Amino acid sequence: MGRTPVVPVAESADEQLLERIAAGDAGALGEIYDAYGRIVFAIVYRMLASPEAAEEVAQDVFHAVWRRAGAYRRERGAVRTWLLAIARNAAIDWRRTRGKRVEREVELDAATAMRADSSVVDSVLLSLRAERVRDAVRTLPPEQRDVLALAFWGGLTQAEIALRTATPLGTVKSRVRLGMEKLRLHLAEES
Amino acid sequence: MNTHPTDDLAAFSIGALDASDQAGVDTHLALCEVCRAEVASFAEVAWGIAELAPLVAPGPTLREQVLDRVRPRTARVASTASRPPLLDGLRRIFDLRVPLAVPLALALLLAISLGGLGSARADADAYARAVAGVADGTVVTLAATAGTEARGSLVVPATGDPYLILRLPAPPAGKTWEAWVLRGEQPLAAGISGDRWGVVTLVLSQPVRPGDGVAVTLEDAGGVAAPRGTIVLQART
Repeated sequence: MGRTPVVPVAESADEQLLERIAAGDAGALGEIYDAYGRIVFAIVYRMLASPEAAEEVAQDVFHAVWRRAGAYRRERGAVRTWLLAIARNAAIDWRRTRGKRVEREVELDAATAMRADSSVVDSVLLSLRAERVRDAVRTLPPEQRDVLALAFWGGLTQAEIALRTATPLGTVKSRVRLGMEKLRLHLAEES
Repeated sequence: MNTHPTDDLAAFSIGALDASDQAGVDTHLALCEVCRAEVASFAEVAWGIAELAPLVAPGPTLREQVLDRVRPRTARVASTASRPPLLDGLRRIFDLRVPLAVPLALALLLAISLGGLGSARADADAYARAVAGVADGTVVTLAATAGTEARGSLVVPATGDPYLILRLPAPPAGKTWEAWVLRGEQPLAAGISGDRWGVVTLVLSQPVRPGDGVAVTLEDAGGVAAPRGTIVLQART
């Protein structure tokens, strides 16, 4: 009772940036772009597989940050996860409205294969955290890994996954929940 | 009514629920600290997955394009004026994301139809499903001001806080949608739409009594103490 929540320094700095953005400070938007622009671009590029589309959507993402910064609520999660939700929703919306659904096999962890591609830069910046997540992903049964990949990178709802994979909806829901719980548990144990 | 949607929280955190379920969980989260914490922890897992995306560098001009969209018009004019005409012409060509052979008017129509109708229809469907899915309580349809795309319904459940189911367009930069309970002539701030637009639920921070009014206005981001902006939705109970 009465404890003041501890907010990590990085998160606090992100929140201050959003406060400045909400007050109309374009410089703060530049700073948050510098902090997250590359990962946001990487996420939408991974989802859309088109650099042109990814640039267009990344622009939309940061424009949404500009318009909605004042509405961020700390109690709903960290700034970076708020940003992730905006980025994924923008990519999903782009794909649905432009009718350019990328029909290709997706894997939850395609980083190793794609990092060898000549268009990929900065592979040396792979974080220890990403390695831990990758290890955790490898512990998942393939069926859980697949539904999470279709949901996360494919942008499909559980009902859409059930339809596409001819799997009962209840089974898909269980796989999503169990997969996420196992990842969370594995990451908690690692840290 | 407020049983925890435990089985849906992981899917919610990665956006894998359909629109009406997503809205239902969102409504619950506004009231439930336990489930908010659960979603926040799953969101961290989601962030970990996101970090597995291959690090592909965006084009060198993306940062400038991001900032160019938010700079005041005068700053953009000044920036354009200082650019060499040839460079400016090339820039316009590369900024134009439709084939050059498409006439401008047709390109605009394409942009409107491709970018707007699909999501608008999905929002309309999701809104109708959310209203139809109200399990108990009284539902009052809010009257929309002429010209607005916003739609809304007030739900006063038998138990628990009243809430609005809203279909809202994205607010302009620096603005948010704010809800009000009108008690007599006194407007009481009752919540803002937060970081959400499209189909959203907004739990009111004020009780709604018989005879009270409810309204939604467009206000400065973060909300205001007294309504100053345009009323887009309103009703009297």
